[in-house]
Amino acid sequence: MDAMNSPPEPAASNASAKPIAHVEFKAMLLLALMLVLIFSFALYVMVARGVFESTQRLVLIADDSEGIVVGMDLTFAGFPIGRVRRTELADDGKVRILVDIPSKDLRWLRASSVFTMERGVVGETRIRAYTGILSDPPLPPNSERTVLRGDATAEFPQLVAAARDLLANLGNMTAADSNLNASLGNVRTTTERLNGRYGVLGGVLGSDDNARKIITMLERTNSLLTKADERVFGKRGVMDETQVAIAQLNAILSDTRASLQKVDAILAEAQVVSSNARVASTDLGALRKEVDTSLRRITQLVDEINRKWPFARDTEIKLP
Amino acid sequence: MTASSSLPTLPGAWAQALWRRAQSWWHLLHFGAVAVVLMLSPSSYDTSRRSRTAHYIHATTWQVLPWFTVLTALLSLVLIRIVVVTAVSYGLSQYALEMVVRVLVLELIPLSAALFVTLRAGLAFNAGAAPTSLSEPPRPAPGASLQRLREGLLAQVTGNVFSVLALAVISSVVALVLAYLLVYGVSPWGLPGYARTVGRVFEPIVAFGFALKTVLFALAVAVVPAAASLEPRTQGAAASTVQPGAVRLFLVLLLIEAASLTLRYF
Repeated sequence: MDAMNSPPEPAASNASAKPIAHVEFKAMLLLALMLVLIFSFALYVMVARGVFESTQRLVLIADDSEGIVVGMDLTFAGFPIGRVRRTELADDGKVRILVDIPSKDLRWLRASSVFTMERGVVGETRIRAYTGILSDPPLPPNSERTVLRGDATAEFPQLVAAARDLLANLGNMTAADSNLNASLGNVRTTTERLNGRYGVLGGVLGSDDNARKIITMLERTNSLLTKADERVFGKRGVMDETQVAIAQLNAILSDTRASLQKVDAILAEAQVVSSNARVASTDLGALRKEVDTSLRRITQLVDEINRKWPFARDTEIKLP
Repeated sequence: MTASSSLPTLPGAWAQALWRRAQSWWHLLHFGAVAVVLMLSPSSYDTSRRSRTAHYIHATTWQVLPWFTVLTALLSLVLIRIVVVTAVSYGLSQYALEMVVRVLVLELIPLSAALFVTLRAGLAFNAGAAPTSLSEPPRPAPGASLQRLREGLLAQVTGNVFSVLALAVISSVVALVLAYLLVYGVSPWGLPGYARTVGRVFEPIVAFGFALKTVLFALAVAVVPAAASLEPRTQGAAASTVQPGAVRLFLVLLLIEAASLTLRYF
């Protein structure tokens, strides 16, 4: 009972020994500060968790909910635009992931948007949204979309099989009797020839003998060209004789031109003759007309005589 | 005197020790319940008691708040820097902020506030209350007089509870601000991402567990030493160099922390 009557209170006894100014005000200040901090922090957390945001529900359908945690983000271009609120197992065995999208971020999701769930080897599972055409119609409320899975671990067996094939091919390529090895041997031979006496020519032609033949052929060709130069361009060579022939040909051409001029004059005279003949043929046409007219008159005269002749019985008229 | 007559039989001694332990824990729970009821009772705060409580709040919180905040800010700065730099070096910078918030705000700061108040106020309280020798008469059981408990201990218990809560809350806010500044710098453009991270950490269950753990820490720090100081001591009990209630307080804090971790992560 003594302890209750005189409770141990060193701090309070010290405090009561020295009067403290505004002690109740300070205590109330501390209390108010703490309450303000607690309520502010609670409000901040609620705002941070989107309690006061107007949202639209989106349902993602997946085969497996492994790695999906309530509260995780749905991202678009790396920016979080939604939160997973609930996961549930549907009657058909599919996983339904209910995602809340804030109204201000709805513009990033369209009817043609695609959703993927990527599960890496390290790190958490991520749900991503891809929208190719932002001008498409907006995503309707309570839409259900199937999630495309991008599981890195699921690719391991295929990756290992592909790596095994690759290593086998690599082993075949690097074997002693492999084509690659033979090719490398050929390359080495070629480079040795390139470094040989005849250089690139030996490498291209395959051996030094062939290169030597080519060089010999070039030397002969060179001497042949020298001789040909003398025969063609030398004194009394082909070129000189050709020049003389060209001069003679030039004189022949001049004669031919004079002959052609004479032929041209003859042709002009023939043209005159032919025009006179045409006039003459025109006179012949008039003459023929006159003969025709005379013949027609004679015929008429004969017909008249026959008609007047008393023994004539045939009255047929024969036209010329 | 033979050994068999002077010492109780082994099962009997164990039973007595067990009984004393049970009585002691019951005494602690009862005292804590009474203290909580009295703290929440408006009649405990008339003018004189309110002044007394204000004195204790001033002594346990106002006087230590500045330098405790500076100390925790310094430690938070070091820890945040280590975590962020390590995470960046391993390419895991996106997890650094979340880890900082979880480690510092949810775990370390409430525990450090509780231990600090324990060391400064609780054990000092016990030091003042503990008998100097075993020759002193045993103290009476609490509850004998509710009025005396209200007059003597309530202000001190209330001050200690308030001190743990205030130090934990203020230091947590300071640590959150420091974490933002160290990760994003003095720029407002990181606020949406930071708020999203904080919101992801403080799920409703986690936030409730954090609040409950801090309140339990505060109650343990305030109640356990006070209950131990009023607990009747058995005649002939071995003298201990440890202040009464200290071991029990650390055990209670350990149990609260373990229960919190178990419920949160398993």
